[in-house]
Formats: sequence, structure tokens, C-alpha cells
Amino acid sequence: MRDSASVQQRLGLTPGTPPLLSLKSVSKYFPGVVANESVDLDVYPGEIHALLGENGAGKSTLMNIVTGIYKMDAGELIVDGRTRDFASPTDAIEAGIGMVHQHFKLVRAFTVAENIHLGWPETPKRISRNSLETRTAQLATDLGLAVNPKTVVADLSTGEQQRVEILRVLARDAKLLILDEPTAVLTPQEARELFTALRAFTARGNAVIFISHKLEEVLEISDRITVLRNGEKVATEWTKDCTEKSLAQLMVGREIVLTETHKKSAARAKAAPVLSLSDVSLKGEQDTVLKNISFDLYPGEILGIAGVAGNGQRELTYVISGLSQASSGKIFLDGEDVTRAGARALAQKGIGHIPEDRLHSGMAPTLSITDNAVLREYGAPPLSRKGWFSPRGAANLAREIASIAEVMVPDFNMPARNLSGGNQQRLVARREMRIAERILIAAYPSRGLDVGAINTMMRYFLDLRDSGVAVVLISEELEELLSFSDRIAVMFHGEIMGTCPTDKADVETIGLMMGGTRQEDLP
Amino acid sequence: MTSMRLQRMPLAPPRVAFVLRVLSVLLAIVTAALVLWASGHNPLALGAKVISSTFGSSFGLEDLSLLFSPLIYCGLSVAVALRIGAWNIGAEGQFNFGALCATGVALFVSGPVWVILPLMGAAGMIGGALWILIPTLARAYADVSELITTLLMNFVAMLLVYWLATGPWLDPSGMALATTSRLPVSVPAFWGIVHWGLPIAILIAIALSLFVTYTRWGYEVRIAGANPGAARYAGMPVRTQLIGIMLLSGALAGLGGMMEVAGTVGRLQGGISNNYGYIGIMVAVLARAAPVGVLATAFFMAVLLNGGIVLQSQGLTTHTVLAVTGLILLYAAIGDEAAHYKILRTKAKDG
Repeated sequence: MRDSASVQQRLGLTPGTPPLLSLKSVSKYFPGVVANESVDLDVYPGEIHALLGENGAGKSTLMNIVTGIYKMDAGELIVDGRTRDFASPTDAIEAGIGMVHQHFKLVRAFTVAENIHLGWPETPKRISRNSLETRTAQLATDLGLAVNPKTVVADLSTGEQQRVEILRVLARDAKLLILDEPTAVLTPQEARELFTALRAFTARGNAVIFISHKLEEVLEISDRITVLRNGEKVATEWTKDCTEKSLAQLMVGREIVLTETHKKSAARAKAAPVLSLSDVSLKGEQDTVLKNISFDLYPGEILGIAGVAGNGQRELTYVISGLSQASSGKIFLDGEDVTRAGARALAQKGIGHIPEDRLHSGMAPTLSITDNAVLREYGAPPLSRKGWFSPRGAANLAREIASIAEVMVPDFNMPARNLSGGNQQRLVARREMRIAERILIAAYPSRGLDVGAINTMMRYFLDLRDSGVAVVLISEELEELLSFSDRIAVMFHGEIMGTCPTDKADVETIGLMMGGTRQEDLP
Repeated sequence: MTSMRLQRMPLAPPRVAFVLRVLSVLLAIVTAALVLWASGHNPLALGAKVISSTFGSSFGLEDLSLLFSPLIYCGLSVAVALRIGAWNIGAEGQFNFGALCATGVALFVSGPVWVILPLMGAAGMIGGALWILIPTLARAYADVSELITTLLMNFVAMLLVYWLATGPWLDPSGMALATTSRLPVSVPAFWGIVHWGLPIAILIAIALSLFVTYTRWGYEVRIAGANPGAARYAGMPVRTQLIGIMLLSGALAGLGGMMEVAGTVGRLQGGISNNYGYIGIMVAVLARAAPVGVLATAFFMAVLLNGGIVLQSQGLTTHTVLAVTGLILLYAAIGDEAAHYKILRTKAKDG
């Protein structure tokens, strides 16, 4: 173990500078799970400290302890040299710890200035719109975060909303800023702006804890990296000494072979498209969520759909899989009009669908693993004959799916919700791949999986593609789309901004399209 | 140093769950005994009285069976609806209306018994289904909570029965003041006063249980009941299933009403449902909506009800009896939850 003097020196601090935040053997237990076990962590002034780990590694629990949402079961929490035991999030804020959550906690109908001053003890007793806006503008310049105080939050882009969140936290004199997966909702350009702001913040002697599972950006932004696995700290490393490979290995705990490059499938014969969307629109409750979507999907290709989450990707998967019916436009499967065919018919015609929110739309969490595993094939022999259902046939199929999905199931009668998120995902993915004879729609398939499992799954997708199935891959990880898809379409506000072959695509242009620039308007 | 920690397990081991169920019943009885003793009764004598008058004679057992049968119908009615995720609080009303329709057939259609009885059964089932039709359609098409609508329909059905039994359908012979005349046909008895309504109820419970496990429709109902989103995702006709199952639920309660009026009571009268519909909710919940489980819990509730009648004859109030019932439910709920927990002994780490 390095002695702390050298840590401070390497961070450019005077020797003996105490850490801003120090955790000593912090443990937290939930019924049935150890969320954190004896975690030590020191965060020094001026550093960006990345907290890396798979989903379920204990990152969020740990940060919830630091921000006073949970109470630890054992250990010590030292802030600025004083032992603290936060009774509530308010205590943590007073101690200078602020957190920006993945889901923003802003009032959408209020202006930026109003949001900044909401629930803040330092808000003057007598306020006017003008005074709030002046104060906000002042704060924004002081803290170097450009926002327009007069704008209503609902009118801001996600990146701008995040900036307001950060400003709100910093205005309360946070010295330690915790960001939970901040780039998940940003375009690459917005992420770069965020990184600049974070560096300016730490340059003033503050610290940042940056939670992420994206190796690449952690390497780019942080000074040191702490890796958690199964609730325990695996290591704290200097970012300079790390590579993606070494980090991935620390996260997963074993050697992983990162898929080298994606091998292009044998040049696609100019076959007829398996699926064609022509001018498809979908009206939501308030506004149009899909606008005039047209594209062709060819057998044996992976079409990546890029875009910040919430720009119509979910609705697109619903329309293609028959869960929603297009308000206008037509959908053709192998030349046949299937616009009104419905989910069951489309599944029978060979469209598999790994839904975005698998626990709530792809599974019945309270029912057994067996019941869930057979959801696609229950209606046909050998499971059903003339209306009779064979529980034994179902159990056999469930065992088969679990074994190819490499999910260890202690008891198939156990409710599916007791499986970990990763295992649920694997099970659903294999279930859908079995029926995907023509098309597989995969919405965020890597969410909740570790690096190794993502690779395995992607290799299966490539195999499916090579056998002539068309794959629609929706992801928020550009890297993933660039390495596995043959073409990438970019969605923004329910529209497709443009489509390009992956070998001609670059992060820059995709990023611009994700932010709302049409392909034809690109510089 | 060791410390103890409770851990919640995803599945309750069946043996532990069973033992805790039995324990919770015993605990409730002990609590009730303590309260009775504190209020000056002799709990042991009362207990002995209850047991001897319930199980000690064939009369007791026959009475028990007559309580058992309607509780099965109502318990199944609620349980079936629970399977698709609907709360049928209206078994009481459907029971009444089923009885009413069956009575109508018996009073105004003449024919041989083997035609009239099945016709009455059908009328009871259709009546029960009709009585849940509006709540069903409101739930299926407008997402109106069936919890409220089915409950409200109960009062209408009960009052309707009161009105018919004391008004238009009142026994013209003048012998009875608040009932219809004796029905010309009745469900035949096979043992003392116990009629065929009971074996039919048991057969229906077994059939339903097989239906849930061994039919494709049963599987779909399980999925749609557990998560309608997943059912839609798999392309199941969720709305049709909801409507079908809720109507079946009403029909079961209605059939119970028909058996009651044509087998047990012999006349239509106000209050014929005797709260069976409401107790059926407890029966179904205690059975966790499993049709065969309903047989066990309905029997258990029948014993309680019968014991209650015995206790009332010993000068205890209805409230006391209800309190005992409530205690048992409370303890059973605690026991069910406790069955999920396991005590872990962990070695605390040094330092």
C-alpha cells in the first residue's frame, strides 16, 4: 500500500493535507445481501476520484451512505477531519457534500433561477423574480457554469438541465461533488463540456467522485480510480497506471477477452429488406413520439440506433414488435403489411424483442423462473397441445434456456425477481434469440451486464447476424454501436437524424446528430 | 464473537410455512382463551364445548358441511379473480343475485326436476356473472377500480333480495313473513342434510386447480395476473382474459347462491348470503388464491364460524367471535412473513 504522503504529493498537495472525505471499513447490509463490506476510501482536495464497478457492485449504496440517505452498519465516515454520522441528506449538504443523481430532481415548470433557490436556506426572505435571476447569474459566473436564469427547465436540453443540477449543488457550498453516471444522458460534446467544468471545480481545491461503469471516460477524466466488486473495494489505482484492460479485469475479477474488432459479415447480398418502415409516426398522450420514420432493415445486418435515451427509441421498438400500433405509416415484414399484426403474430413470424425495461415489460417478476422462461413458446408444442399445457415441458425448456444463458438457477420455482438483474437479462436475451428467426430487437441489452457478459452477448448477436437475422441494436454506449453495428441510425426527438455505415461514422458526427443536427445539415 | 442477523429468503420453505401457520392458529386460540379467561369465562370448558358440538356428532358435522360449501364457492370466486389481479369484493352480491335468479326459475318455470335443477344452476351462474358484468367492463375498458364497484353492487343485490322476498315474491300462503314460498325443487341430499352442493364445489376447486396448471389459458391467466405488461408483450389478449375470468368469478359466487337457496335454505330470504361473500375474501387470501388451498381455508373458516355459533349459544357476543377470527388472520399473516426469515449466525470481524 502506498503511504498517504506520496498520494498528496502526487496530487500536488502539501504533505499532511487531510483527505476531504475518508471512509474507514464502511459496511452496509441489507436483508440477504452485503451491499458494502469494509470499504476504505480517501478523497483528497483537488482530485477527481472515479468509482468504478459493475451494476450491483455497491457504488450507489456507498454514495448513499456518504450523502446521508443510508446509515452504515459499521465503519467510520470522516469529513474534513471530523467523524460524522449523517442523520439525513440535509446534514451531508451542510457538511459540503452534494450529489447529482442520474435522474434530475428539478421542477420542470420552474425557471432555472427558481430551481436554484428552491429549498435553500440562503434564499432571501423577500424575493422578486429579478433578484433571484441576478443572484443566479452571479452564481453561474462565479462557478463557471453558463446557464440562463430565465429559462424554464422543461425547455432545456438534458445537458443543460444537468448543469443546473450541478450549479444547484455547488451553490450550497459543496466541496465534494458526487456525480452518478453523469454522461449517460449526454452527447459526447456535452460530456466534454462537463469534464471541463469538473476540472475547473477541482482546480479550486474541491473534489469530485465520479461514478461510472464506462472505462474509457473514467480513464479520461479521473486522477485516481477505486474499483468496487461485490460490495468490497478491490483496489485504488492511479489512473495513469491503468488501461481499459486492467480496469475491466479488476471490475470483473478475471481475465476478459475484449472482442477485438467486429468482423464484417460476408458482403451483404443486395437482398430484399426484411423489414421496411415507411413514414411511420406514433402519437403519444401529449405529443408525437415518433415522426415520419422510414428505413429498411436487411437480413444479416446489425443496425445500431444511437441517441440519448428517451428520444423515441423505446417507442420505435414497440412499433416494430407490434406492442404499439403506428398512428400513420406502414410497416412491411418480408413485403407483407404487418402494421396492424400485433405482438403475438409478429413474434410468431420471427421477431424477438429484448425490451428496455425487462423486469416490467419482459417478465412477470412474481412468477416462477419457469413461467418466465417459456413466455414465448408456451403456446406451441411441445408445451401446449390442443389447449393443454405441460408443466414438465415448460420445466425442460426453462432448464434448457437457463443452461445456454449460463444462468445458475438454484430453484426454477423461485420468483424471477429474485434473480440478479444481469441474470434476468441473460435469460430474456436467450429466450428472445430462440424465436428471432428474422429480426432481433435488442434495447440496451448490455445494461446490467459485466464486461465479460456483454462480450459474450455481442458475439451471439454477431452469430445471429451471420446466420441471416437482422439485429436492431439500441444502445447508449457509442463505443458498443461503433464496434458491433454495420449501420448506425441516430434518433432525436422521435425522428431519425441520419443513417450511415459504421465504417464511415465517427463519434463527432454521431454526437452532432444526437444533439439534433440533421445529417444533411452537418458541416 | 458471534452475532445474529436475520436474513430474508426469497422462498419460504413449505415445511416452515406450514408449521408457522399451525403455530399462528394455536397462538390466536391461546390469546383468545386468555381474553375469555380474563373476562370471567372458563376457556377450557368453552373449547371443549366447541369441539364436541362441532366434531362430536353427525349433526355437528352436517352443520359444518353446510357452512363449508358456500365458503368454497365464495372463496373460489375471489381466488379466481385474484389470479388475474382483480379484487372481487362483490362475491356477496353475486351470491345473492345468483340465488335470486335461481329462485326465479324455480318459482316460475315448471318441469321435471332434472330439467329445472340444471336450469337453476345455469340461472345462478348467469346471475352471478351479470352482477359482476358492469364492474368488469368498467375495469376492462375504463380502468375503474373493481374494488369499489363490486363492493357497491353488493348493497343493491342484498336490498333487491329483501324487497322481492318481502314484496312481490312473498310466500302467498301467509305462513312466512319475509321469505318466498318453499321452492318446489331442491338439490338432493346425500348425507343427512348435506346436499350435493358440497361435492360439486370440491370438484370445481380441483378442476380449477388443474386448469391453472395444465391449460394454456391457465398459463396466460397466470402471466396476465402477475404482470399485464408482460402479457401484452407476449401478445396475449389481456382484456378478453380479464373479462372472462371476472365473469367466471361472478358465476362461481352465483352458483354458490343457487346451491344455498336450493339446497340449504329452500326459500329465498333477505340475508341469505350470511356474509359468505366477505368471508370468501379471507378464505381466498389465506389460500393465496390457490383453488385447492381454498378447500383447506374454507374448511378452517367453517370450523371457526360453527365454533362462533356454539360460543354465541354460550352467551358470548358476536364481537368476541369476530375478534378471534381477526386474531387468527393477523397471526397467520405474521407467520407467513416470518417464514421467509432465517437466522444467520455470523462471526464478527476483528477490529
